[in-house]
Amino acid sequence: MNESSVPPGELCAPLPLRTGRCWSLFGVWYRHVRVYRKTLLANATPPVLESLYFFAAVAIGLGSYLLKTGFDGLPYVTYVASGVLAGSAMMCAVFETTYGTFVRLVYQRSYDAMLGTHLRISEMFVGEMLFCATKGAVFSTIVLLITTLCGARPTIWCLLVPLIGFVTGYLWAAVGLVVTSYVKTINNFSFFTTGIITPVFYFSGTFFPVRGHYAWLDVVAMLVPLTPSIELSRALFKASFTPVTGIALVLLLGYTALFHWLALRRMTARVLR
Amino acid sequence: MLARGLAKHFRDVRAVDGVDFAVAPNECVGFLGPNGAGKTTLMRLIYSALRKTAGELSVFGLTPMQQRKQINAGVGVVFQENNLDEDLNAAECLLIHALYCGLSFRTARRRAAELLEWMALSPKARSTIRTLSGGMVRRLMIARALLHSPRLLILDEPTTGLDPQVRHTIWAALRELKRQGMTILLTTHYMEEAQQLSDRVLIMDRGRIILSGPPNELIGQHLERYVLQASGLTEVPAATDGIRHERAGDADCFYSNAEPLLQALYDRLPTRSAVLRHANLEDVFLKFTGRGLHE
Ligand SMILES: Nc1ncnc2c1ncn2[C@@H]1O[C@H](COP(=O)(O)OP(=O)(O)OP(=O)(O)O)[C@@H](O)[C@H]1O
Ligand SMILES: [Mg+2]
Repeated sequence: MNESSVPPGELCAPLPLRTGRCWSLFGVWYRHVRVYRKTLLANATPPVLESLYFFAAVAIGLGSYLLKTGFDGLPYVTYVASGVLAGSAMMCAVFETTYGTFVRLVYQRSYDAMLGTHLRISEMFVGEMLFCATKGAVFSTIVLLITTLCGARPTIWCLLVPLIGFVTGYLWAAVGLVVTSYVKTINNFSFFTTGIITPVFYFSGTFFPVRGHYAWLDVVAMLVPLTPSIELSRALFKASFTPVTGIALVLLLGYTALFHWLALRRMTARVLR
Repeated sequence: MLARGLAKHFRDVRAVDGVDFAVAPNECVGFLGPNGAGKTTLMRLIYSALRKTAGELSVFGLTPMQQRKQINAGVGVVFQENNLDEDLNAAECLLIHALYCGLSFRTARRRAAELLEWMALSPKARSTIRTLSGGMVRRLMIARALLHSPRLLILDEPTTGLDPQVRHTIWAALRELKRQGMTILLTTHYMEEAQQLSDRVLIMDRGRIILSGPPNELIGQHLERYVLQASGLTEVPAATDGIRHERAGDADCFYSNAEPLLQALYDRLPTRSAVLRHANLEDVFLKFTGRGLHE
């Protein structure tokens, strides 16, 4: 114990505190950025590479043999690129708030530690979702850049891709939190990832058009929460906006609001026990 | 701080079952109680980590849960379980927690460095949490609770599982904080710790407060001054006037206000495993909470 380093009377002197929402959210967000930055290569390489393998195998490999014409008025390479970038935003967000959040909740007890501060429970989790949204924006942009180098054709509207990545990341972070709030052991997540995330990734129009086969399937496909993101992303690549684009936008924002609300409600109950 | 009939039930478990107490500013209050007595639950009610089932509680004149933000801005908590952020090193842990507490980057860095230094952890600033010893982790937990200069410090078993050196270091630190005007709530299983640090102790059992008062007064009020403690006696000496005898398992205790009586008894005992000493808080604790297991 080194008593001399802190003059008596200094330890308990009142300090100015910023208890506003912005600083609270920033603190939580910054914690994740700081941790992520430490292991940037190890963390970011697999998901980026994974989506690029898909892209290479499906769009460049398979696509060049089978689908010279493409879908939806887009060359196939561009078609897949626009889907994969939304998918990668979903993936990076949902893994963070399932496995990552569960470890912090159950093993590290980080949220218990945060409960001892003035942070609102909503701030603890919104900060986390904002981090996932940031990651979604960055990942989708990286995928956009690399696929462009590989032959996808973006338009000027693609400058809005980070925005779609951001909202998509936030939405799926919230979905992840809702799932986590029900999960008892970490193994349960594999049901969610293989049972829901994987099929969503493949069947919400990432690699081929789901709509246009059966009317009922159109409705179902549009209701999968990733479809609106992909629909919007594709609109940017086509630089054409239809009523469907509008519906997609409303759906995306609606889902985000719904899952945001659900996530906070569920996690509050879980953290306060 | 004031609690009236405060209760918290988990389904059929009455973890806190109607407690009344008040804590004055700059007071250090020790909460004692067997495992499962409800100490941690009570602390969690105070920093709004649980919703109460019934009763009233006010902290700084504010209502927990409803005014959680204002209350917790002035509260520092050392949790029973270590929950440092294992993805960060010691200095980062403090920095990030200081941001959570609402300090600016600059103040956060300064406070983190000061408190690391004060807890003699500066050489470990860049070590990851997993490489720290139990004593270092605990000191870091205390440093973390002090970052924002709280008015009220809640310590849930701060020294459980630590060696005597670390324990005494931590006690010295806590006494310094008290001198500087901090209000301290302390739960512990170490009677010596409670006796050393607390102005007043509350003994809890099964969610209720069964005894409260300054440690020395409690001992004086409820027990004789001296105790002769022996174990493994095959035959118990005949009762003497002025000596009270109690037996639990293979242990015998003889209580008296007259030391010479006990000294004489001590000399007559066949076993050398006996000790003659002042009655202490642990004797009071055992008298009131019983010697059997509680869970
Ligand atoms: N979240 C919870 N859900 C259900 N029961 C709980 C919960 N938390 C505590 N309990 C129960 O409430 C009782 C009091 O627990 P608490 O942790 O407050 O005791 P304690 O005095 O801190 O014990 P210890 O000395 O072991 O730390 C115990 O019977 C415990 O099993
Ligand atoms: Mg406890």
